[in-house]
Amino acid sequence: MAESKDEIHFESSECSPASTSPMGGKHRYLFHRLCSSWDKSISLKGRRIFHRDVEKEEFQYASSHCLTSYYSVFVVRLAIMIMLAILIGLLTILTWHFTKIYTTKSLNSLAYGLRYELLQRPVLRMWNILNSTSEITTAQVKLSQYVIRRYSNPANQAEQVELYEAMRAITWSLFASRKALNSITINYKNGFVQAFHRDLKDNNTFYIYSDLANYSMGASNSNEINSFSTHQAWDDKALHGNYSAIWYREPLDPVSGEKIGKAMKIAPEDLINIAGFSQVPDGVASWHVAVSKFTDSPLLSAALPVWDSSNKTIMAVVGVTTALYSVGQLMRELVELHSGHMYLTSQEGYLLATSTSAPLLANSTKPKLKMAVDCEDDVIRHGAEWLQRTYGNNFPPSHEVHVENVKLGHQRYYIDSFFLKLKRLPLVGVIIIPRKYIMGQVDERAFKTLVILISASLCILVIGCVCILILTNGVSKEMNLRAELINQLEARRKAEASSNYKSQFLANMSHELRTPMAAVIGLLDILISDDCLTNEQYSTVTQIRKCSTALLRLLNNILDLSKVESGKLVLEDAEFDLGRELEGLVDMFSVQCINHNVETVLDLSDDMPKVVRGDSARVVQIFANLINNSIKFTPSGHIILRGWCGNRNSSVGSPNFHLDQKKSRSLQKCREKPNANHSKKTSLKDNKVILWFEVDDTGCGIDPSKWDSVFESFEQADPSTTRLHGGTGLGLCIVRNLVNKMGGDIKVVKKEGPGTLMRLCLILSAPMDVIEQQCAVDLTENGLVVLLAQQGNMGRLITSKWLQKNGVCTMEASDWNGLTQVLRELFHARSSVHNTDFDAHYPAKEELKSKLLNIRDMRNPVFVIVVDMGLLDLSTDIWKEQLNFLHRYFGRAKFVWVLNHDTSNTIKMEIRRKGHVLMVNKPLYKAKMIHILDAVIKERNLELQRKNMTAPRMKEGDLHEFLEIDSTHFEAASSDDSDISEVGESSSPSSSYGTEDNQPKSHSSKAVDGKKSLEGLKILLAEDTPVLQRVATIMLEKMGAAVVAVGDGQQAVEALGCMFPAEDRRRESLQKGITPYDLILMDCQMPKMDGYEATKAIRKSEVGTGLHIPIVALTAHAMSCDEAKCLEVGMDAYLTKPIDFKMMVSTILSLTKRTS
Amino acid sequence: MDGIVELQRQLIDYTASLFHEGFLDEQFNQLQQLEDENNPGFVVEVVTLFFEDADRLLNELTKALGQPSVDFKSLDAHVHQLKGSSSSIGAHRIHRVCISFRNSCEEQNVEGCLKNLQQVKHEYSLVKDRLETLFRMEQQILNAGGSVRR
Repeated sequence: MAESKDEIHFESSECSPASTSPMGGKHRYLFHRLCSSWDKSISLKGRRIFHRDVEKEEFQYASSHCLTSYYSVFVVRLAIMIMLAILIGLLTILTWHFTKIYTTKSLNSLAYGLRYELLQRPVLRMWNILNSTSEITTAQVKLSQYVIRRYSNPANQAEQVELYEAMRAITWSLFASRKALNSITINYKNGFVQAFHRDLKDNNTFYIYSDLANYSMGASNSNEINSFSTHQAWDDKALHGNYSAIWYREPLDPVSGEKIGKAMKIAPEDLINIAGFSQVPDGVASWHVAVSKFTDSPLLSAALPVWDSSNKTIMAVVGVTTALYSVGQLMRELVELHSGHMYLTSQEGYLLATSTSAPLLANSTKPKLKMAVDCEDDVIRHGAEWLQRTYGNNFPPSHEVHVENVKLGHQRYYIDSFFLKLKRLPLVGVIIIPRKYIMGQVDERAFKTLVILISASLCILVIGCVCILILTNGVSKEMNLRAELINQLEARRKAEASSNYKSQFLANMSHELRTPMAAVIGLLDILISDDCLTNEQYSTVTQIRKCSTALLRLLNNILDLSKVESGKLVLEDAEFDLGRELEGLVDMFSVQCINHNVETVLDLSDDMPKVVRGDSARVVQIFANLINNSIKFTPSGHIILRGWCGNRNSSVGSPNFHLDQKKSRSLQKCREKPNANHSKKTSLKDNKVILWFEVDDTGCGIDPSKWDSVFESFEQADPSTTRLHGGTGLGLCIVRNLVNKMGGDIKVVKKEGPGTLMRLCLILSAPMDVIEQQCAVDLTENGLVVLLAQQGNMGRLITSKWLQKNGVCTMEASDWNGLTQVLRELFHARSSVHNTDFDAHYPAKEELKSKLLNIRDMRNPVFVIVVDMGLLDLSTDIWKEQLNFLHRYFGRAKFVWVLNHDTSNTIKMEIRRKGHVLMVNKPLYKAKMIHILDAVIKERNLELQRKNMTAPRMKEGDLHEFLEIDSTHFEAASSDDSDISEVGESSSPSSSYGTEDNQPKSHSSKAVDGKKSLEGLKILLAEDTPVLQRVATIMLEKMGAAVVAVGDGQQAVEALGCMFPAEDRRRESLQKGITPYDLILMDCQMPKMDGYEATKAIRKSEVGTGLHIPIVALTAHAMSCDEAKCLEVGMDAYLTKPIDFKMMVSTILSLTKRTS
Repeated sequence: MDGIVELQRQLIDYTASLFHEGFLDEQFNQLQQLEDENNPGFVVEVVTLFFEDADRLLNELTKALGQPSVDFKSLDAHVHQLKGSSSSIGAHRIHRVCISFRNSCEEQNVEGCLKNLQQVKHEYSLVKDRLETLFRMEQQILNAGGSVRR
C-alpha cells in the first residue's frame, strides 16, 4: 500500500510540481493517521497481555480493535480515492487546457491573418479604383490639354466642332479602355459638356452632350467666359440654371462607340455628375464621393482642371467617376466565401461599400449617403454601433481596432477595422466575422473534448475507486485475517499453556492427593485390624476402604495421564518376557471374567519374540486398561488378546510396510533424544520389532463416529455408561498416550459381528541374542492326540488351531456329553479296530471320522485329554461319578485338568487322590499347553525308560506327583530366572506354588526365588539402629552378600578409607580394578555423621579416581523431597524403611550390574 | 504328638491374633523368613536387640523429657531411631505412636510428647509381653521336638 501511495505521490509531483507540497502534506497526514491507528492497535495489544485473564476486557478489546482497523481501512480508502480523483481531475484539466489553448492561439493568429487579408483586399481594390481613376483623370487631362492647345483659338464654329469631335474621340478611347469607369465628363470653359456614361446596371453606354447650337457664339463667349472666369469661377448655378442648356443623350455601342440610337433630349443634371469648376477651385485634383440617382452605389469622383498652355487659365474640367459597386461586389464575393460582414466607410462614417446587398443610399428624393449606424443590415449596424459606443470619436491613432468576442445580437463576432489614409478620402474598413466561423469548430471540439475528458475521467475515477475498493478490500481482509490469526495463535498458545498448566497441576495435585489418600487407606487398615469394631462398622469401614482404593486408582490414572502429557514419563528400557507378562495379565483378568461369563483368550503367534526390551509395567498397563475396558462392556462372549509380529527388519509382503517403516523411523528419532548414549549401546545388538496386538471383544461396541474420540481424555463413547459401568474415561487416553510414547499407534478397527476390535502396534526392540526358537518342544514327532474338552468356544478353537499348526492332532468337545461320546469313539472303537458299526452311529461327523481314522493309523499315540472343570457338574455330587467315569481312561490317556480359580479344594484333592497330577488354572493358553505337553512327553519318555529298565510297576508311586502349572510371575518379573527350568524341576514335590492363597506358601516360594543372587558382592552397611543393622545384615547375607556393618557415617567413610589409607596404594588398587566394596547401604539419619554428609565425603574422595561406589540410601522418610536430596548428594538409589526385601535386592542388583 | 500339633495351632493362632490386633505387621513375617539354618534364632536375636535398644531409647527419652528445657532435636532423633527399629521388627503399634510422637516433637509440644512417651512405653510393654510369650511358645514347641512352621 505504501508503495502505491508513493507512486501516486511521484506521479502527482511529476504532473504538477506546484501542487507537490500540499499533496506531500496530505500524505504525511495520512501516514500519521495510519501510524496512529497502528500504534493504537499495538498499545492495545500490549495492554491485552497485562489483562489477559480478564476475559471481558479482551472481548472489548477485540471489538475495539475491529473498529479501529475498519476505521483505518476506511480512511486509507478514502484518501486513495481522493488522491485518484485529484490526479485524474488535474490530468483532465491539463489536457483540455493544452489542447484548447494552443489551437485557440494558432487559430487566432490564423484568423487574424485571414481577417487582415480579407479586409486588405477590398481596401486594395479601393486603392486600385482610386489609382485607376486618378490615372484616367490625369491621362484625360493631359490629352485634353494637348487637344485644346491645338485648337487653342477656334476661329469658327467648324473649328470648334472639330475640337469637340477630337475631344470626343480621345475621351471615348479612354472611357472604353476602362470598363470600370462610370463616367468621364469634360466641362468646357464655355459651358459645353461632353460626357460618356456607362450604366452598370443595364450595361448601356451613353454619350451625353449639350446642345451645340447654344454655343455658336462660343468663341465670342469664350472671351467673355475667360474674363468671366477671371473674375469669377464657373459656378454650377450658372452652368445648370442660368444656361438653359439642352442636353442630349445618345446610346452607344459599348465596344465600338458607334452611335446606335437616336439622341434624346434629357434634362441636365439628371444623369450624372458633371465635374464643374467649383470642384477644382485651386486647380488641383479633388476627390469626393458622390451619389447618383441612377446607381444605388456611391460613386467616387475625381476632378482635375485642364490648363491652357500658359498655365494660367483653366480650359476645362475633367471629371471621372467610378462606381464603388465593384468593391461591394468583391466584398460580397469574399464574404460569400468566408461568411461575415464587411463595410467601408469614410472617415465621417458614411458607408461606401458593404458586403451585403442592403442599399447604401438613403432613399429619398435625393439620394444621400447613409451612415454606417443606419445601415439596414443588422450586423453591420450593430457592429458600427458597438464601435461608436466603444470608441466614439476617439479612435486609436491608427484607427486600427482588433476586438474578439464582441457580442452582437446573439452571436459573438470578431471586429477588426483598418484605416486607409487616402488623400482627401480617408477610408475606414471594418470586418465583422462571426466567431463561430473561425472558432466554431474549435469551440465545439473543445467542448466535446471537455465532455469526453470529463466523462472519461469520471469513468476512470469510478473504475479506480472500485479497483481500490476491491484491492483494499483484499488487503483489509488479509489484515483482518492476519489479526484473527494472531489472535488465534495467541489463544492457541494460551490454550496450550493452560493445558500444560493443567497437566502440571494435575500431576502436582494428584501427588499431593495421593499422599493423604495413602494415609487414609493406611488408617483404614489400622481401623479394620482393630478388634473393637462392630460388624456394621467393620463393613462400613471396608466399604470406605474400597472406595478409597478406587479413588487412589483414579488418582494414579490421572497422574499417569498428566505425566505422559507433560512429557515427564520416561519409559524404562529393560528386557522382559512379553509373553509371560501377557499371560499373567490374562490369568488375572480371567478370574474377573468368570463371574461375567466371559471367556478370556490369549492368542499369541509363535513368531513373537520371547524377550523384548521396553517398559514392562507400561506395556502391561496398556493391556490391562484395554482388557479392563473390554470386560466392562462385555456381558457375555469372549475377549481375545491377539498378538503377532509385524515385519522384522524387512518383510516386503506386509501391507503395513510403509506405515511400519515410518513408525520405526519416528521411533528411532524419538528414542535417540532422551537416552542417546543408552540406545547407542543397545541398538548395536537390538533390532526393532513391530508387534501388533488386537483386543477383540463381543461387547456392545463403539459407534464408528466415536472411534477417534474415545481416546480423548474423559471421553466416553456413551455418556450414560458412567452410570452403568462407572469409570472416568481416562483409561483409553492413557493407553493411547502410552502407545504413542512407545512409537506405536492404536485405533478402533471395524470388525465382523458385535463388539469392538482395538488394534495397536508397539515398537519394541528385541535383543538379537534372545531371538531363537520360541517353541522349545518339538511336538510333531511324538504322536500326540489332544482332546480339548472345554467350554469356551473361542479358547478351544484357538488352542486347537495352534496345536494343529504344530502338527498335533486335536479333537474337541464342548460339553460333557460330547466328551463322553468322543472318548467312547476314541477308545472303544480303538479297542475293536474293525468295528464297522461306527460309521452307522455317526454318519454325520465326517471330519471326526477322518480324524479318528488318522489317529488309528498312528503308531503309538499319546492321548492328552484336557478337561475343563466347567464340564463337570459341580452343583451336585454328580461330578464324582463323572470323575470316576473319566478315571476309567486314566491308563490310556493323560488327563489335564483345567481348574477354575474357585475350584474347591475337595475336588482338587479328589483329583489328586486319583493320581491326576496335571492341573492348570484357567485360562489355558499356549505357554501352559506347551508345558503340559512337555511334561506329558517327558513323563512318557520316563515311562519308556523305566520300562526299558525293567522296573515297570514303580510307575504308580511316582506318578502321584502334583504338578500345578501356573505362570503368575508378573510380580517378580525378573526375566533372568527361566521358566523352563521350573518345568524341568516340576517332578520335585517342592516346586508347587500358587497365587490365590499365597499367605502360607509364600515363605517357601521365597526360598525358591531367593537364590543367592547377591553372591560375591561386598556390601558396606551404615546403620546406627542395631535392630535395623541386624535385619539388613541378615537379609543381605541370605542373598549371599558379604556385609560389613558400621554404626555411623564417620565409620563408613573410614571403612572405605582404611582399606586403602595411602593415596598411592589406593591408586594401585584402582589400577588393579579392586574396589573395597561393591555397594554401600547408607542410612540417612545417623549420629556423628549422617548419610548425606558421609555420601558427600565419599564422593569427594572419589573425585579424580574415576571410581563410583554405588550408594543406596535408607531412609524412613518416604517423601519425594528426601529422594531428591539423596540423589543430589550423590546417592544412586533410595530405599525406604522398613526395608522391602524384593525392592532391596532388585535395587542392589540393578546398581551392581550396571557398574560391573 | 497331638500336643505339639495343638501347640503349633495355638502358636499360629496367637501369631495371627498379634497380626490382627496390629502389634505386628508384614515386616515381622519378613523377619521370620530370614531365619534359617544359618541363622537359627535370628528373630529372637533381633527382637532382643530391639528390646535393648528400645529400653535405652526410652530411658533417654524419659530423661530428656524430664529436663527443664527439652532438647527437641535430640528427642526427635531418639524417637526417629525408635521408630526405625520398631518398624524394622514390624512392631506396628509402636511405629505408629512414634509417628505421632515425632509430630509432637516438631510442634515442640511437651505435653503431647509426654503423653506419647507414656503411650510408647505402654505399647512397648505390651509388645514385649506378647513377643516374649510368642517366643516362649515357640521354645515350647521346639523343646517338644516340633518345628515352628511359618
